[in-house]
Order: sequence, then C-alpha cells, then structure tokens
Amino acid sequence: MNILMGLFHILVFPGLLFVCIIGLLLAGVDRKVLARMQKRVGPPLIQPFYDFLKLMGKETIVPHAANKTVFLAAPVIGFASLVVTMLFIPVFGYSAFSGSGDLIVILYLLTIPAVALIVGGSASGSPYAGIGISREMVTMMSYEFPLIMVLLAIAKKAGGAKLLFSLTDIVAWQQANGSGIFHVALIPAALALLLIIPAEVGTQPFDVAEAETEICEGPLIEYSGAPLAMFKLNTAMKMFVMTSLFTCLFFGGIDTGIVAVNALILVAICIALTILCMTLIHAVTARLKIEHLFKFYWTFVAGLALCSLILVWIGL
Amino acid sequence: MNYVHFPVLAVMLLFLTAFLIVIFGRLSSVLRNALALIGSAGAFAMIVYLIKPVMIDGEIISYWMGNWEPVAGYAIGIGYEIDQLGLFFALLVVSTILLSCIYSFKYMEKDSSLEFYYVLFLMMSGAVLGLVLTGDVFNMFIMIEIMTFSAVGLTAFRNNRWGAVEAAFKYLIIGTIGSSLILFGIAMLYADCHTLNMAQLSSILSGNINPASLMAFAMMLTGLGIKSFIVPFHAPAADAYTAAPSSISMVFSGMVNKAGVYGIIRLVYIIFRAMDIRQLQYLLAAFGAVTMFIGVTMALAQHDFKRLLAFHSISQIGYVITAVSLGTALGLTGGLFHAMNHTLFKGLLFLCAGAVLKETGTTNLDKLGGLSKKMPKTTICFLIGAFSISGIPPFNGFASKWLIYQAAFSKAVETGNFFFVIITVCAVVVSVMTLASFIKVTQAVFFGQLPEKFENVKEAPFLMRLPMWIMAICCVLSGVFYGFVDKYLVGPAAGAALGVSHYIDTMMGSGYAAAAGVTDIKAAPAQFSYWDPIIWLVLFVIVLAAVCFVMVTGKGDRGRISVSGKAAEDGKYATFFSGEKSLPSHVSGSDLFWGFKKDWKKYFAVIEDLHSGVVNDYALWAVAASALIIVVLFGFVR
Repeated sequence: MNILMGLFHILVFPGLLFVCIIGLLLAGVDRKVLARMQKRVGPPLIQPFYDFLKLMGKETIVPHAANKTVFLAAPVIGFASLVVTMLFIPVFGYSAFSGSGDLIVILYLLTIPAVALIVGGSASGSPYAGIGISREMVTMMSYEFPLIMVLLAIAKKAGGAKLLFSLTDIVAWQQANGSGIFHVALIPAALALLLIIPAEVGTQPFDVAEAETEICEGPLIEYSGAPLAMFKLNTAMKMFVMTSLFTCLFFGGIDTGIVAVNALILVAICIALTILCMTLIHAVTARLKIEHLFKFYWTFVAGLALCSLILVWIGL
Repeated sequence: MNYVHFPVLAVMLLFLTAFLIVIFGRLSSVLRNALALIGSAGAFAMIVYLIKPVMIDGEIISYWMGNWEPVAGYAIGIGYEIDQLGLFFALLVVSTILLSCIYSFKYMEKDSSLEFYYVLFLMMSGAVLGLVLTGDVFNMFIMIEIMTFSAVGLTAFRNNRWGAVEAAFKYLIIGTIGSSLILFGIAMLYADCHTLNMAQLSSILSGNINPASLMAFAMMLTGLGIKSFIVPFHAPAADAYTAAPSSISMVFSGMVNKAGVYGIIRLVYIIFRAMDIRQLQYLLAAFGAVTMFIGVTMALAQHDFKRLLAFHSISQIGYVITAVSLGTALGLTGGLFHAMNHTLFKGLLFLCAGAVLKETGTTNLDKLGGLSKKMPKTTICFLIGAFSISGIPPFNGFASKWLIYQAAFSKAVETGNFFFVIITVCAVVVSVMTLASFIKVTQAVFFGQLPEKFENVKEAPFLMRLPMWIMAICCVLSGVFYGFVDKYLVGPAAGAALGVSHYIDTMMGSGYAAAAGVTDIKAAPAQFSYWDPIIWLVLFVIVLAAVCFVMVTGKGDRGRISVSGKAAEDGKYATFFSGEKSLPSHVSGSDLFWGFKKDWKKYFAVIEDLHSGVVNDYALWAVAASALIIVVLFGFVR
C-alpha cells in the first residue's frame, strides 16, 4: 500500500502528471492573457498540449556534430529533476515526502534543468547554441546571487537563532505566524523572488538565452521532435515549480485542511503569479542585452534581497 | 600482523624505492616502473590496512623512532603519531600516489630521463606521507622541505619549455619564503617550550599562549598558508600546475596543497588549540572567502585548460579553509569532506586535461573543440568531474558544499554575526561561477566544433583511463553514500581534531593531558538533516523510467533515427546550416562569457594587473600578508 501510495505521489499527484498538466496549463494561460493584452485573440487555452503532442510525433534529428548520448539524454534529465523538485515542495501543509525539502537542495536541484539545457545545447555542436548556452549560463549567474539571499532571509526569519532550511518547517512556521508575505521584512525578498522567476523560466525580457529573433532559440536550435517537446515541457513545468515555490515560501500560511481544495488554491495562486510576473512583464518590455540583464540582477534585485536580509537580521 | 610499524614502513618504502630507482632505474624501463608501482602500491596497502584499527576502532598509533621514548615527561626522540586526522590525509595521499603512478606509465612514455621523474615523484610522495603521519614539528619541517624541492624539480621536469622553468623558479622563491617562516616559527617555539613534539607542545601551550608563541604561531600559519597556496600566496601555484606534467598537477592539487591544509588544521586545532581566538576565525574565514572568490574569477578569465583548473584548485582550497575556520564540528566535517572530494574531482579533471594534452598536443581552449566525438569516455569522466566540482547533486561536491553552507549559516545565526552570512553568500556565488567556467571548458574542449587538424585524434589509452574511471566512480559513490563516508572517514578525522586529549595521552603517557589541564572541545555530531540522496535518486530513477516507458511505447517506429550510409550525407543531419558549409563560431571557446566579463571589466582589469607574473611582486605579497597576519593576531588577541 505504501509503495502504491508512493507511486501515486510520484506519478500522479503532486508528481509527474500534475506538474505536466498544470505546467502546460500555465503556459496556455500565459499565451492567452498575453494575446489579450496585445489585443489579439490568442490561441486556445490548451494550445501547449496540442504543441506538445504534435512535437512528440515528429521525427528526431540528431546533427552530425552532436554527441548523441548527451544530446538526447539532456532533456529527459532536466525533466526528471523538475518532477523530483516538485515532490519536495509542500502543497501548503501537505507534502508527499515529508522532511526532505531542504532550501539549499531545492536551489541546486533547480539548477539541473538549466544545466541540462546548457549541456544539451553544447552537445549539439552548433555555433548558435554556443552563444545561447553562454547567455543561459550568465543568466543563471545573475539570478543565483539574489536567490540565495532571498532564501537565507526566509531561513533566518523562520528559524530565528537556529538553522532552519527545511521547507516543511518553514511552512509550519508560517501557519503559526502568518504567511511570509505579511512580514514587512520579507516583502523586498518577495519582490526579488518575483523578479527572479521570469529569469529562471526564461520569459521575455529575460529570454536572452533563447532569443528567437537573433540566435534562433539558442541552445534549442538543433532540437526537433520528442527532445524539443521535452524541453518545451520543461519550460512550462518550471513556471509551475517556481510559482509554487513562491507560494510555499510566501503564502505558506494558507491551509484549508482539504488536500484537493489546497491544490486548487495553489493552482489559482500560481496562475495569478504567472500573469503578474511573467505575462505582464512580457507584455510591456522588450528583451534585454545580456550585460544589462546581469547588471539588473546584481544591482537592483540583489539590492532588494540584501535589503530584506538586513531587515531580517536586525530583527524586524 | 603488527600494524604499528606500517606507517613508518610506508614512508620508508617510498623513499627506499626512490633510492633504488636512482641506482637501478637506468637498467630497464620495466624495472623502473615496477619499482615505482611497488613503492606506491605498497604504501597504499599499508595505509589502507590501518583504516580498521584507527578509523573504526578509534585507536591512535604512536611510534618512537629508535625507541626514544619520553624521559621525565619530555619527548626527546622523533615520534610518529597516527590519529584519525593524520590517517584521513594519509589515505588521500596514498590513493593519489597510486593513481598518479598508474597514469604516469602511459602518460610520460614519450619523455626522456624518466628515472629522475619517478625518483622525484616518490620522494615527494614519501615526504607528504611523512608530513601527515609525523608527530614532531621539526620532522614536519624536514618533510615540507623535501616536498617543496621535489615539487620544484617536477614542475621544471619538462624543462625544454620556458614556462616550466619559470614556474619552477617562482615556486622555489615563494616556497622558500614559506619554509623559512615555518622554520623561524619552529625555532621560536622550541626556545619557548623546549620540545618539538606536537602532543607535548599542545599540552604546554594549552591556555597559556605568550607573545613569543603567538609570534611563532603567526609565522607557522603564514608558512603553511604559503604551502597550501591560499590567496595571496597562490600565484606560483597557477604557474606550477600548468607547467608540470598532468600526472604531477594532479598530485599537486591532490596532496601537496592538502599537506598545507593539513598543517593548518594540525597547527590551529591541535598544537595551539587556537580556534577560540575569535579574530583568528575572522582572519581565516576572510582569507578563505577571498581565496575562493579570486580563484574562481581568475579561472573565468583563463585561456588555458590546465591553468583554469589550477585556479579552481586554489578556489576550492578557499572552501576548505573557510569551513575549517568556523571552528565547529559541522564546519570541520564539511571542510575535511571537501578536501577529500577536491582530491577526487580535481585529480580527475587534471587527468582529463592530461589525456587531452597527450592526444592533441595542446591545452589552449581557443584551439580545441568537439573532442567528445573522438574521446567519448574522457568526455564522460570530465563531465562527472565538472559536475562534482560545481556541486550538482548527487555528486560529491554537492554533499560537502552543502555541509559548508550549512556550517557557515548556522555559525551566522548562532553568533548573530552578519560576516558569516556574507561568507555563505560568497560560497554559493562562487559555486555558480565554478559551474560557469566548467561549462566554458566543456563547450571549448569537448563539445562545439571539431577543428580539422584533430580529425585523427584517438581515445586515451586504457592505462590512462583506468585511474580516471576509478576517481569518477568514487565521485559518484561518495556523493550518494556520503553518510557512510562521514561515518568511517570524515567524522573520526573531525573528531580527532576537536578532541585532543586522547592524542596527547597516547603519545606522552596516560594522564598527561589531564595533568596539563587540556580539555576537549565538545564535538556535537554533524547534522545531516534534510538531504537523503538515496531517496532523491530512487525518485529520479522512477521518474526517468516512467518517461522512458512513455517515450518508447508512445512512439513506435516513427522517431527512429539512423544516421549512417546515405542518410549521413543528407544535409538535414548537419548542424543548422543544412548543407551549407558550416561557419565557425565567432566566439572562441575561452571567451564564452563575454557579457559577464564586460560588466566586470574594471574588476578584471585590476585583478589581471595584480597577477603581473613578476616574482618580486608575489614575494612582496607574501611578506605583506604575513605582516597582516601578525598584526591581526597581535592587535586583537590581547
């Protein structure tokens, strides 16, 4: 029974199936709302599902210059690590595998999909991919610096004088003391994390790595068929994983006690966050240059995060 | 079997085979290689045998040379004393020696006068092994001297290249400054305490450090810092690692700078027991943080494979020093674990660089590219090493870095000191930059486009791949089963550094420590709380299996790829240019992060100016840094 329950967690909720479906749904919402903001009709809400299914049926071409094993394995590894990450982010009070969601581990697991994209792109042997991975890596360096400060600020706020990195405990702390967003010291951190999400996912204006118009999707340039579908799915899932991490860190205080209702609330918050930090910013901005992106994160966003960290440190 | 003699025999065997090679090495290359293998494998076997009594049963082995036991409470003779800390480093040393020796057979086959190579190699090995096993400060100094001079000789081994001779010269100058400082410190200590035995020094100095011994401490700390190449003493290391043959670069980063780290731990935790001096914590933590940051940023700016690895070596030592400086059980565990992991992954990376150098004849990142087609096995090994050093879970680098972050941040929340938060953030950022620079190497050497002149490159021979595979497997295993590693290797070593009275009692007779008023620092066991790699790995495998299942069943025949024969000539299997002649990338391999470099232009200008390559400057840095250490220690301790 335990094994069956475990498999259910891994494959259906909150694992594989749940993440895929909600991720693709978020991508659909993003596209639809963006279109409406630009006075277009936009694709149907489930267009990403169609795209995914269509790509799965297409032929997979591996270029000559590519290292075939790495080229094909990269998207699958990125996908698997995203699902595993999701398993350890508690859905409010409910976590599939309790006691294992360590903040630093989550931080590092979230780098694996990006590394998979980089290594896969690199293995394709295309010069466009070479430029793309360079930008992806610089993007990663940019947001990782504020991200760690955000996480440390939350850990310090929730833990007080002892070390607290467990997500489950952080949620428990929020349920006792109110959600993170209602603590003044954490508001700059929340803003910083909101700005980190689009870079982590790679939406405009932070999509320099994939910049379709200049380097033809960068690391993805040589991908086709099923691997490309996987990468597109990864991007969609990243939206969900990142927004639910935000929910877990800043709205953790909500708990209705019923798992299904909680899950629905989670999805609702994720949709709101997606519209707020991805669609809205996408609609009103143009793509940055890579050096501007780096500067933005290391000054403005890092400043917000540092501000929060100092506020927490002086006990606010 | 009486294993008490093993430590001394292991050191002697290495020296003995070195001398035998001097005499008989010229006769035949087989005999020479056999002697080298006997020496290194024999030492390996003897040290590994000691794991059971020392690590698991907790015994401390003491051995008085020539049976000169202490008289009236004073140690006169030279004593070897093997506690868990010493054995931990000895294990690193012997495994590095053995793997490097196996690698050398094929790697060095084209060089001439190889008997000198093996003589110096074995001398250096014996010296480092003696250094970590000895219980006598002056004996330690002698071993450091032998180590430094054979290391200088090995750096200049390929002396037909100007870089090698220049590097050896720099190493010699800076190394001599370090040795002199250590000797000076030891002389002061001897004048003050009338003994050279570490155990006795520890009990005499416990709690009553006077200005003379503090001066000695500062001198020895600086000297050992030079031996472990922390910033600002790192400049000769970068040159030496680059110029030396790769098998030796691996030994340098695997054990020679570990010898310095070992010396610092021994000095700070056991001889002076100085970790409760708060300024020392700040000083060492600041040195560690600066070391890791400057190391990694310099690595990002490099154009040479081995030079880049050399700067990473410096950077990773920064992690170890930072972790050790925290003075907590968790920090020490993280630091020692990272030292061990560094030996594994950095050795692996240097061997990969050696394989590339041997097959292609260059390590210039701008000239290499696309080798993964030609050297697939080396590529896999390299990727494992690169992911380990960048701390990607579940490889070993992640486990130890994670401990270090935890240790640094828990120190911050316990003491309420913001300084340690900065250290934590710095460590994480450096880790990402490490990843970045390894992405650069991956793209520039193994992936990307294959230059035409490397069409005929072959995979490295088996004897060279064997040590690489062993280390790659160790990287994965020690990352996944790190609880096991902690229980049997790292944990006892950290415990030995914190609980010193057992060490003193074994050496000087029981009750000696208590009589001198030595008390152990209470060592809380390290907390391995929320990260259980096995659960994650199982989940990962299940998800992977599910995905593969869906992909295989869902696709049937449609997506099958066959790129051979006619299809291979089809334009659609070429890269993006679909049949057109593919263009080279406009960005050369080493310049991959130009966006980042542009933002940091001023920083890089300053930092590259500082690394002027002039040995006078480097010597000046060393002197200035030693002055700084003395001033900080004297200015704030009282």
